[in-house]
Amino acid sequence: MNGIQRKIMSLSVIVLFIMVIIWAVLTYYNQKTQEQYNEVLQRYLRMNEITNMSQQTVASLNIYLSQPSETTKASFNGTTERLLEAKAELPLLRTGNNAFTLTNYMHMIESLVEAERLSVMFQGQNNNEQSSDRFEEATRIHTYISETTLTLIDKDLKTYDRFYRDIMAQSTTLKRLGIWLLTFLTVTLLLFAYWFSRSITRPIQQLTVAARELARGKFDKQIEIRSNDEISFLARTFDRMRVNINGLISEMQQKAQLELELQESRLLLKESQLRSLQSQINPHFLFNTLDTLSKKAYLDGSEETSDLIASVAGLLRYNLRRLDRSVTLAEELNVVMKYIEIQQARFTDRLTFRQQIDQELLYVRMPCLTLQPIVENAVIHAVEPLEDGGTIIFRVMKDGDDVRIEVEDSGEGMSPDLAKRIVEEQPLEESSARGHSTGIGFSNVVRRLRLFTGRDDVIEIGSAVPHGTKISLKIPMAGRMEQLVEANDRG
Amino acid sequence: MRNIVIALLSIGCLVMLYFTLQAASNLAASDTPEPSIRTTAMADSDKLRLVVITQELDTPFWLKFKQGADASAAANGASLEMWGTYSSDRIEFLKQIEIAIASKVDGIIVQGLDTPEFTNLTKIKAAGSGIPVITVANDVPMQDSLRRTYVGSDHFEAGKLIARQLVQKMGTSGKVVLMTSDEEEDYQRQRLKGILQVLAPFPGIETIIVTSGDSREAIVTAIDNVLNKQPDAKAFVAVSAADAAVTIQQIEKRSRVEPYYIYSFDDNPETMTLLKLNKLDALITQSPQAMGELSVKLMVDWLNGKTVPLRPDGYFTGIRVLKAEDAK
Repeated sequence: MNGIQRKIMSLSVIVLFIMVIIWAVLTYYNQKTQEQYNEVLQRYLRMNEITNMSQQTVASLNIYLSQPSETTKASFNGTTERLLEAKAELPLLRTGNNAFTLTNYMHMIESLVEAERLSVMFQGQNNNEQSSDRFEEATRIHTYISETTLTLIDKDLKTYDRFYRDIMAQSTTLKRLGIWLLTFLTVTLLLFAYWFSRSITRPIQQLTVAARELARGKFDKQIEIRSNDEISFLARTFDRMRVNINGLISEMQQKAQLELELQESRLLLKESQLRSLQSQINPHFLFNTLDTLSKKAYLDGSEETSDLIASVAGLLRYNLRRLDRSVTLAEELNVVMKYIEIQQARFTDRLTFRQQIDQELLYVRMPCLTLQPIVENAVIHAVEPLEDGGTIIFRVMKDGDDVRIEVEDSGEGMSPDLAKRIVEEQPLEESSARGHSTGIGFSNVVRRLRLFTGRDDVIEIGSAVPHGTKISLKIPMAGRMEQLVEANDRG
Repeated sequence: MRNIVIALLSIGCLVMLYFTLQAASNLAASDTPEPSIRTTAMADSDKLRLVVITQELDTPFWLKFKQGADASAAANGASLEMWGTYSSDRIEFLKQIEIAIASKVDGIIVQGLDTPEFTNLTKIKAAGSGIPVITVANDVPMQDSLRRTYVGSDHFEAGKLIARQLVQKMGTSGKVVLMTSDEEEDYQRQRLKGILQVLAPFPGIETIIVTSGDSREAIVTAIDNVLNKQPDAKAFVAVSAADAAVTIQQIEKRSRVEPYYIYSFDDNPETMTLLKLNKLDALITQSPQAMGELSVKLMVDWLNGKTVPLRPDGYFTGIRVLKAEDAK
């Protein structure tokens, strides 16, 4: 049997049980009272019966005396017998109070019968005078019997006075008990029924509220219902469903996020490809011209100019490569050196470039054109605006499983706000990107690095000692994330 | 709000429970109305059943008698009932005797009544049914009633006592009025006999016997007559109990009571008051309690065959003269 049904059944059984008990008690007491009443009535009836019977014997004797015959005699004998039989039951009526009177009573009946029989006897002997004397006596005794009956009943009333009052008191008590019991049960049952119905409906109500919450899309609220019937099972199932839905939704959200990121990186790729194409408008013409200029300068005896032009050409060639190919740190360093060469030609003494490079780490692969924009940035901010020029220190070192690349300048330093914007890849103001030779901005570098490594902590912007900016890049030695490479290749 | 309602309901519930339990316990407590008298009754059925029948139920005399009789019955293991009439209703009194005979009681103790009906009942019916009769207080001659014996005052002796008292007070000369009832009962005859026997030797004393009916009017008429005819009467003796008070009343209407010598036989509240007021000079007190005790005891003894035969002259209980001086 299941919970709710069991509850309803138990309520019904309890109510039924109480009703049966009350019925039984009331019936028991009623029955008892009735028996007592019956007993009392029985006594009175019996006494009254005696009077009636003695009357009958006298009447039948009278008939016999006036019309002596066998039938009338038989009728007289019959009534006499009945009277004697009734008399035999009289001792049952004996009580302490009426013992004396009752004994008298019984003897009176005997005297009556004796007198009557004598009368019959004298009648048989034709002694009419004696017979009528006896008859008179019998009549008198009958009167005494009637009177004694009343006396007996009176004595009974006295004897049973307390008893009757007890019976009445008991029936009053019974009635009062009935009323109290009724009110008590009414209130109790009301209370009980209320509590009981609440135990059924409250979980349902809670469930309804929970369902409404779910319908509104709030999946994070736990459904908790304490109940010991089907509702709690329902609630548990419901809660499990909520948890499942919650899980599915968050999974979906994650996937969407991933999709978004993928989309972004694709867009980025397209952009760079476009730029690359733009830059390749006429590379052969440009390279040939630069080569020609270099040779010309060499032939004119200006070897310095020739080298400078060759550097520019190399830088441009590197710059025009496809951006989605990874390169080694060595190649990147080569480009940085060419750039520094060109800038030193421009700034002469004002630019001091120092490098500390762990040669073993040069095999590490990284996106192309990542270091040159950073170094260029340092030149733009730490050397170009200053009359006395500045120093740029370039370091490559090992840092755990990563390769750490540091570019430190002696400029005025970067505002924390700007540094934060760079790290968070937020678009910089137009002016800050101006002057970059490759047209690749700082944020672009950061984004490509992150896409390449699949990590967020690739860049750190801090302050140099005593002043200036220090930019650190971290590139894992294990290489780049294959997934991203594939994605990029497909794009 | 709901909590308050629930709390109120709960309190109500508890109150109801309290009252219900109280009613239930009341019911359980009152659960014994079964009359338990019946079982004890059976033992009584073998006891001797005695009946005392009197004409003056619930008078102080008979109440004392009842005390003695009840005590004696209880001591002798007999059951006793007191029947009777309240105002000398003779027909009813005789009927009671007849009922007792028809009820076949073991013994009848009866206040003697010297009438043919009474003697007929005791002689023929009671003796015929084998029921012994003892007369008390007032006797009926044995040859008339076939009574077993008599228990009570010796009325002859009482008459003598009063007469002596009278002579002592009044002296040996004067008119003495003796008032009797016209019912001519044995005890009155005995008293009269006693008085006359004492007064006879004194020639100076003249006795006038006045008989009247029992009713108050009859007594009043009779006394008025005497007072008219015998204005020089010095003493009055109320042989019948009812006469004393009326006599004094009638004398008081004419003159002071004190000069008269007035005597009575029965000590009832009325005569006792008169005695205390010194209007009555002396009276005879009887011993009703002793009568009750002795009569029941004799009856039981006779029924058990212990005292056979009973003295036919009777057993006299104590009497004494109570004077006005003593009563104060």
